[in-house]
Order: sequence, then structure tokens, then C-alpha cells
Amino acid sequence: MKFLQAALTGMLLGGLHALMAAGLSLSWGVLRIINLTHFGLILLGAYLTFQIASSWHIDPILTLVVTVPVLFAAGALLQWGFDRLAVTELNSLLLSFGLLIIMVQAVSNLWTADFRQMAIDVNPYATGSLSVGRLVFPSTTLIAFALSVLLIGAGHQALQRTFIGRALRAFAMDRTVAAAFGIDHRRISILLAGIAGGSAAVAGMLFALSTALTPFTAFEWFGIVFAVVILGGIGNVVGTLLAGLLVGALSSLASVIHSPATEPFVVFSLIVVALLVRPQGLFARAGGH
Amino acid sequence: MRAGRSAFATGLWAFPLAAAGLAALSLYRESLGLPVAYLSLLTLVLVWTTQAASWNILSGFSGYFSFGQAAYVGTGAYATAVLYGRHGVSFYLTLLVAAGLCAVLALAIGGLAFRLRSLRGEIFALLTLAVPFILGALARTSRAIDGGQGVPLPVPSFPAQIGLFQDFLYLVGLGVAAGAVWTAFAIAHSRFGWALAAIRDAEPVAEGLGVATFRYKLLALVASAVIGGVGGSVFALYIGFVTVESVFNLNFPLFVIVMSVLGGRTHWLGPVIGAVLVVLLQNRLASSHFESFQLIVLGAILAVLVAVAPDGLTTEVRRRPWPVLGALSGTTLILWLARAPGQPLDWILVGMLVAAVVAVWPGRRRRALSIASAEPAAVAPSSPRPAASLPPASDPAAPPLAPAAPHRAPAAPANPAVLVDCRKVARYFGGVHALEDVTLRIHEGEIVGLVGPNGSGKTTLCSLLSGSLRPTRGHILVAGHDTRALAPHRVAHAGIARTYQIPRPFASMTVRDNVALAVMFGRVRRRLTQARARAEQHLEFVGLGHLAGALPSTLNLHQRQLLEIARALATEPKVLLLDEALAGLNPAEIDVAVEVVRRVHRAGTAIVIVEHLLRVVNQLATRVVVLDRGTVLADGEPRAVMSDPAVIRAYLGRSGARA
Repeated sequence: MKFLQAALTGMLLGGLHALMAAGLSLSWGVLRIINLTHFGLILLGAYLTFQIASSWHIDPILTLVVTVPVLFAAGALLQWGFDRLAVTELNSLLLSFGLLIIMVQAVSNLWTADFRQMAIDVNPYATGSLSVGRLVFPSTTLIAFALSVLLIGAGHQALQRTFIGRALRAFAMDRTVAAAFGIDHRRISILLAGIAGGSAAVAGMLFALSTALTPFTAFEWFGIVFAVVILGGIGNVVGTLLAGLLVGALSSLASVIHSPATEPFVVFSLIVVALLVRPQGLFARAGGH
Repeated sequence: MRAGRSAFATGLWAFPLAAAGLAALSLYRESLGLPVAYLSLLTLVLVWTTQAASWNILSGFSGYFSFGQAAYVGTGAYATAVLYGRHGVSFYLTLLVAAGLCAVLALAIGGLAFRLRSLRGEIFALLTLAVPFILGALARTSRAIDGGQGVPLPVPSFPAQIGLFQDFLYLVGLGVAAGAVWTAFAIAHSRFGWALAAIRDAEPVAEGLGVATFRYKLLALVASAVIGGVGGSVFALYIGFVTVESVFNLNFPLFVIVMSVLGGRTHWLGPVIGAVLVVLLQNRLASSHFESFQLIVLGAILAVLVAVAPDGLTTEVRRRPWPVLGALSGTTLILWLARAPGQPLDWILVGMLVAAVVAVWPGRRRRALSIASAEPAAVAPSSPRPAASLPPASDPAAPPLAPAAPHRAPAAPANPAVLVDCRKVARYFGGVHALEDVTLRIHEGEIVGLVGPNGSGKTTLCSLLSGSLRPTRGHILVAGHDTRALAPHRVAHAGIARTYQIPRPFASMTVRDNVALAVMFGRVRRRLTQARARAEQHLEFVGLGHLAGALPSTLNLHQRQLLEIARALATEPKVLLLDEALAGLNPAEIDVAVEVVRRVHRAGTAIVIVEHLLRVVNQLATRVVVLDRGTVLADGEPRAVMSDPAVIRAYLGRSGARA
């Protein structure tokens, strides 16, 4: 029962990691930008939720009304800059690393480096939980999982069904040919980066619901989120979700069976194994390069 | 970079001189009136110089970015902290242990990562990012290493003449930093450095020309790790109390990347300049109570530089040294004479910053660039040289060409040797069957025309023959060796060279050095001076002798294609694969290229030419092989093959498809 609880809780948390990874994965796969500032946007989203909910005394989920547009604009603005500078994939890693450092330090200067958490009276979800038999799930985790799956599913549908989604996929496969067929790469990539920014706002809010915040968490996300991106297949949204669940379950099991310190081993050996066996990602469709 | 013997000889005396000068600062500190605080600051510069030089050997020279610098620092620091701090082993011995541990770590990372055929630079960067987290977690939980408490280090004993502990630390740091910079310098001036530069510019091409890329990358990683680890030991002594947070810290990759990018990552001196500037800047910011902005300033420097001057200061300064030096000394002098507020260090820092801005000032840089590129272009005739003006072949024994007659193999021996033997070769990409059941032999003295519609598998076959792809099924024997068992550079040494459909020159090297690199790493290893002389001959042979000193970016497509051929010839191949070497050329240029191909053939090299222009194939080929949808449709004498109904159908569309 202990293991089942661990695996299920891990999978629920994995949903949130998948949401964090999805924006990064799309940006990498479609826009060819490894956007480390995505972590900064998530961090900013979390702190904005904390700040707005605490000072206006409103439901933290309602803060999305403010944070999603703000981070949509921030993500779009950053992409506009990347596009103007025409950075290569590797340089985008360096450039966004520099920007991420600035963002983290700015957050630290604004909100201090101490742990910050919403008070119980503004966060109605902090203490609730759902029991199924002997299994217990905190409501924050359930909300995070449900919202993440919902958003990723919607994103996948949008990519498959809508005109812009198809244009994006065409753009990811071959930008020159896509451009020749009249796809305006600039508008479409700014839109995508904006949506990724919006998803960062949601992910940040979900984090602020359940966890105490500190600016340097942004760096701690690196490992698990990139594991999910690589395992899921770069640019593959559904793969990201499956990889998130897998990584979540496995690392949670590892920390129960052995100790929390073994988590990084599990995560990074998974990356290495995945790269060795299926460099295109565990859940990529067969037949692609 | 890599100016050759003379620069290396200069280094031989300049390095000891510089090191001795810096050592004298400590030994005569009191008579010079140098405050101890300045000495500590210099020690910090040396600590960071070591780390930046370490990072640059792998990431700057070979282009494989690492975010894992903290892994070496931490390993080295804990080797010293545990062995010396806890168990009282000699401090100097722990430096060796740190080096050994980091070498093993590097071999493990590189042995795994560089074996991945799909490894891309970005994936490597992210993999290395993971390593410090894993090691940090290990150190935190293991009581034998740290256990979460931190490990204090006592002051080691040292000869009394040295003076204070700060003096001792400075001298140790100086020794290690000098070793690190010397290593980077030596690498930059050796075959090793050339190999790394080729890997950075175009790795698959380098491998195809005979550079053992796996070995060189691994060697660079080990060198980088060893230096980083020894530097980590010194850092442990510098901080005196080692904790997981202080050594497995993301600041290490951040700082070394900023330093190297700022200073210039393709030059051995870059990290030194970057370290001096960044440490000084950090120190001044801290002492003027801007601690909380230190990281913001660093992040901003990194972001702005990547966008504005990705080559770094060293490159910019070398482009026009005098204005920069003038700005540095001028600003410092003015501030000193004007008795500006602050310390001398502040004045020097302001001078450096002004000099840095002068160095990367965009408007002037662009002008400097256009002058540099105009020079070779003025020498190069933009119109193609007519075939008649080609210099005579370097092989005087070659028989004169009979121009009118179609080219045929000159008196082929009755039983020509088989150079390449493909047996039932298949290659799949996922579900796509690019090649199926291809059986093909290439003999000495042949020119095989490989034709077929787009997507019929011609380029895939070229990649299989040159060893850069491996067959899914079947075998390819080159001079009797199965290519499955050979790394691509071994296939090159066995006698196969190829050109690329889209030319891929080494962008940072001159045309001459592009070819010289292939000579250096050929079947017979050659020294740089010899290689350059031979490279000139190969360039003359293809008619590019007049462009030897130009950079590839100034060449037109035709000249680049010829450079591809010269570079392939420099490996002294038995079989030369020309993958659409004439694509996109105008008729006059095609005639020149055809003439070059004939001369190569006359000199005794078998040729496989992939070409869409049937006129050219008819002119050149002694045999034609037609591929269609991954299988061999026809193979034989050109005239017979071209009149084969199946071939005509493949080219003109399938019967009944739309008729």
C-alpha cells in the first residue's frame, strides 16, 4: 500500500512537471530555442500568485486572470527578442541562461531569498485532501494534476485540429518550406512563446498552492523538467505528459524504497538510458527521424 | 590562433617569465608595498583563471558546452577536504588524488555521452548539468564524504620563507593556474588543438577526413576535468571550510561561461582576460554594497555578449589592439591624474570596461570586418577560370588528355583490384527503406556514375560507403575491412574520401589550413609545416592555389566545391565519392570541375560521382549504376544502361501512372 500511494502521488506530481516541461519542449522543438527563461517565468508566476493572493485576499486560482496575460506578454516579448537577434540553438541556451540568472536574482531581491508561503486563510486548498480507501491525496496535488492534464490535452488538440496548430507543426518540420507556403514564422512563434508563458503562469500558480517558495527552486527544477522533456521527445506534447507520469512515479518510488537522495540518480539514469536506447524520446512515434 | 612554431617558441620563454613575475609579487610583497588584500584578490583571480581555462579546453576549443564545471570543483574540493582535512593525508598528495578522481569521472561521462551517435551539443550541455546535482546529493548523504555538516580544512605547513598563509595560497594558486593556462596554450598549438577546432567547425566532416573525433573529445574532457579538479582542491584551501553548497554550486558554470565568452572562447588567452575582468568587477561591486546586483550584472554581461560579440574580447582586441590598449591606459591614467574618488583598482577597472566597450563597439567592428573580407575577394577572380588556364597537373607522368574522345579508363588491367565491395546492403530510417539489397563493387581505375531520381538513396549510399552511416543489414568491405567494425575516420584511412553536396568547410580556418588539416590527420600523420606545403600542392591541383590564404566564407559556390575536392584528395584516397559536386554550377564552371575530376582520375584514384546531369555522367563515367527507390536498377556500360527501358521509365515516370 505504501508503494501504491508513493507511485500514485508521484504520478500526480508528474503531471505538474509535465506542464512545466511542455512549454519548454514546444519552444525547443518548434522554435529551436532552448528557453531557460521558462523556469524564470514559472518562478515569477508562483511569486505573483503568492503576492496577489496575499495582498488582495483573493482565491489563488483567480490570480490567473492577472498572471496569465502578464506572462503571456513576457514570453512573447522574450521570443521577439530571440527572433530579432537570430540566435542559434546553442547560443539560445547561453543567452537564456544569462536572462534566467537575472530573473532569479531579481525575484530574490524583491521577495528575499527566504521561504515564502501563502497564509492558510488565503489558500483554501492547502489543508484539504481526498481519501480513497487507505490512499490519501492532498487536494493541491489533485488540482495540479487535473489542470495540467487538461491544459496539455487542450494543447495537443489545438496542435492537431486548428489551422495554427497545423501551421506550427509544419513549421517544426521544415521552416523554409513552411515559410514558402505563406506561414509567417514571426507571428506564429511569438504566439507560441506567449502560450508557453501562459502555461508557465498556471504552473507557477500550482506550485505556489502547495509549496513554500524560494528563488533558487528555479535551478532545482532543471533536472526533473529536462528529464521529462528529453524522455517525452523534444516537441512532443503528449509524450511529455506520459514521461512526466513515468518520471514522477519512478522517482517517488525510489525515494520511498531507498531514500530521497536517490531521486536524482533515478531521474538522470533514466535520461541517459533513454538517450542510449531511443534518442528521439521514449514516446515518439515510430518512423520519424 | 595556432600561428604555428614561432608563437609556440615565444610561449616557451614568455610563460616562465610571466609566472616568475607574478611569483615575485608575493616574494617581494613587503618591499613593493602590496597590501595582503590585493594578494588575496589576485589569488581569487588565479582560482577562477584555472576554472575558466579548464572549461575552455573542452567547451571553447571543441564547442561542446558543459554546465558541469561544479562537478570537477566539488570532486577536487572534497578529495582534499576528506583526505587532508579529515585524515591528515599530505595536501600535495590530495591534488594528485583530485586529478585522478576527475579523470575517472570524465572518462565515465565522456565514454557514455560521446558514444551516443545522436549526441548533440545541447543534449551534452544538459547531461553535464545533471552531474553536479547527482554528486552533490551523494556528498550530502554519505557520512564518509560530508553528511551535511561541512568539512573544515586546517592550514597546511609550508616553508617559513614564504611568509604568510596568504602568500602560500597565492603561490599554490599561481602554480596551478600557470599549469592550466600553459596546458590550454600547448593544446591550442598542437595537432590536438587543430582536431578540436575542426570538431567545433564541422564534426562529421572532420571525422570523415580521418580525425579521431571520439578520442580527441574524450581527451579534451579529461584534460578539462583534471584541471578543474586540481583547481577545486586549491579552492577548498582558499575557502577553508567545504560544504556541498559552496562547491557543487551553479555559480561555477555561470562564472566560467561568462569569463570565457567575455574573453573569447576560441583563444587560449580568452579565459584569462575574462577571469581578470569578472573577478575585479565582482570585487568592486561587493565593496560598493551592490552585492545583490552581482549576479544580475553577470547575467546581463552574458546575455549582451552572446547577442553582440559572441567571439569575445580576445578576437576583437586582436582585430585592433592599439585603440583598445590606448583606451585602457588612457582612461586609467586620466582617472589617476584627476585623483578620481576610489582606489587604484577602481580606476583600472573603469579603464578595462572602457577598453572592452571600445573593443566590441559594433559600428567600427563591422567596418573592420568588411575590410578583412574585401582583401581576399580582390585577389580572387569572381568569374570562373576557364579550363584551359588550369595549371599543369603536378603528376608529370600523366598522359595528355585526348579532348574529343569520351573519357575511358586508361588501359585498365585485366583483373582490376576490388576497392569497395557492397554485399546485400540495406539501410532503413525508422520505417523508411532508403536502400534495399544493394550489391555493388568498385574497382581500381573506374569512374562510376551513380544516378537516380531524387530520394532514390544516392546520398545514403555515399554516407554508407564513407562509414558515417552503418548499414542496417549487409556488409561493406573497404580494402578487405568491414566498415561496421571501423570508426568513420578509420574508413577514411582505409582510403575512402567524400565531398558533401552542400560544401561544409571549416569556417575558422583559411582555405590552405582546411586542406592542411586533412593532410595532418591522414593515413600518414604529418606535421603542420609539411601539411601546409602539401596543401598548397593540392590546391594548385584543383586550381585554387591563388586563394590559399582566404577564409572559406569569401569563396563562391564553385570555389567551395573545388575546396571540398582538394580537402578530400588531401587524405590520399583510393576511392573519391563526389556527392553532387557540380550541383548549382554554371556550364563554364562545370567544364572546369569535369576537368579536375579527370585529372584526379588520371592520378590513379577511383571515383564515384553522384550526378543529375547525364551529359556529365556520359562524358566521365566508365560505368553507370542507376538507383531507383533504394535498389539497383541497372549497372553496366554507360550507353547500354542509358538505353535500358527500365531506366528510361524510372526517369520519365512509371508507365500508366498518368497516361
